[in-house]
Amino acid sequence: MKELLAIEWLKIKRYRTFWILAGLFLLLMPLWNIEVANGMLKFGGNAKGGLNFLSTAYSFPEVWGNLGFWGSIFIMFLSILVIILTTNEYAYRTNRQNIIDGMKRIEFFHAKVALVLLLSVLATVYLFVLGLAFGGVNSGSLSGLFSQFQQVGYFFLLSLDYLGFALFLALWIRRSGLAIGLFLLYSMIIENIARGLLNSMMDKPFGNFLPLQASDELLPFPLMQMAKTMMGSGTGINMTTYATITVAWCAVYYFAGRMLLLRNDW
Amino acid sequence: MSSILSIQHISKSYGPIQALKDVSFDVPEGCVFGILGPNGSGKTTMLGIVLDVLLADVGNYSWYGGMEHSTARKQIGALLETPNFYHYLSAFDNLEINAAIKQRGHDDRDQVLKQVGLYERKDSKFQTFSLGMKQRLAIGAALLGNPKILVLDEPTNGLDPAGIAEIRELIRQLNKQGITIIIASHMLDEIEKVCTHVAILKKGTLLLHGPVDEVLLSEDQVEVRADNTAQLQQALEAMPGIKKIKLNDNTLQLTCDATVTTAQVNAYCTGMGITLSHLLLRKKSLETKFMELTNQ
Repeated sequence: MKELLAIEWLKIKRYRTFWILAGLFLLLMPLWNIEVANGMLKFGGNAKGGLNFLSTAYSFPEVWGNLGFWGSIFIMFLSILVIILTTNEYAYRTNRQNIIDGMKRIEFFHAKVALVLLLSVLATVYLFVLGLAFGGVNSGSLSGLFSQFQQVGYFFLLSLDYLGFALFLALWIRRSGLAIGLFLLYSMIIENIARGLLNSMMDKPFGNFLPLQASDELLPFPLMQMAKTMMGSGTGINMTTYATITVAWCAVYYFAGRMLLLRNDW
Repeated sequence: MSSILSIQHISKSYGPIQALKDVSFDVPEGCVFGILGPNGSGKTTMLGIVLDVLLADVGNYSWYGGMEHSTARKQIGALLETPNFYHYLSAFDNLEINAAIKQRGHDDRDQVLKQVGLYERKDSKFQTFSLGMKQRLAIGAALLGNPKILVLDEPTNGLDPAGIAEIRELIRQLNKQGITIIIASHMLDEIEKVCTHVAILKKGTLLLHGPVDEVLLSEDQVEVRADNTAQLQQALEAMPGIKKIKLNDNTLQLTCDATVTTAQVNAYCTGMGITLSHLLLRKKSLETKFMELTNQ
């Protein structure tokens, strides 16, 4: 695994697109959250007045769920990065060259899986660092730091879900433009339509179990969560179920991707 | 000579098109093995399969008498179809990736870049290279880590005449050092000038294979002339091993068995009291042979 990651590192360390997309993720995520904490989203009033509903969302322990929710949007940068890094191999035919030079097909696949795992870990560590900073500043103390700490774990699952889905799509479609287009369409539009249809047709909200939605459910929009709890309109599906389904989807991406690579011509 | 690559009953189709039909042959160690065939005859498919880039429908192959395939590939330098490199990396950085995967040749990078004449451009990005330079880099990558086998698919693609001659010379040199070279090409004179063995493919079928001498000599012609053509013809018609005699002006063209040599013809005629004024072994050019075979 270490050797495979070392080879992946050689491929990306001088790749400008990688640094730009990763840099945007690292830069925009805190900037965005600073603006939200400062009251970018609020009801009524002007720049100085009004009610900032999310002002408490940056204290412990709410900060984890709140950062996690916004993180589920910023993870798009890394998903697109995974698609680009993978489809590049097809565009340059370096997937073939890697094999010709002596990689096994399964090693080529595992190198990409390892990259997805590593990016998910790094994104989660970054979320943790941001959470400490926001929570520390807004709470003034570290009390309550761990009371909803499982949400950091949820963010790891969510990252794995998004990046794994992106990897599978890239291995399947092989062309960068089309894969990115489909990824964005699916995550922002198609899945929402399918979810709505499924949920209205079935007596249980099975639409929430769709590939990316399952992990989105782990980190809902903070206000929505509050409202649902207050009105008692929860779906009755607990987080363990969503976490299990997310892991199951990751397994599906893994085995489907593996099958694609082992069975097809390159 | 033991065989370094053994191919057994390989078939492969792309949908309705059968690219390879039950192809089997062995590549002996230390030879220069040419795979010949017109466009679309299955040369690249064949090489793609033995390099594990393509999957055969039926059949199998073994390197070094059965070495694990990926281990074998690490010791093979190969160029398949196109030069495949990361466009945004320099020549030098690209070779680092090749060497990292092969787990050998990391320190050869300067040397192979000099060998293929790209040393001055080693820090230029691959995407700034011309077609010929890309091809040179691919050959350079194949040379990393002193491979014992080189697999070259159309190695002279995109090269200028000087480049083609350089590659031919390089192949000769490497073969002298004991490296086995498998080369696919539709450029017949390339193959003819360097190969010791050939396999000829047509529409996925292996027409023939073997040492160049054997494959080609069997159909060679001997030209003879003497003062008395009629007497000569009469004498030679009685000679064993002569299959056909054709009179062309006052020269006789003999089609002989593979065992008949020019020395035997000369000795025979002398024995019959005829002095030859002209004796020539006319090797059928590979091109003529190739055209005959593939047009059948």
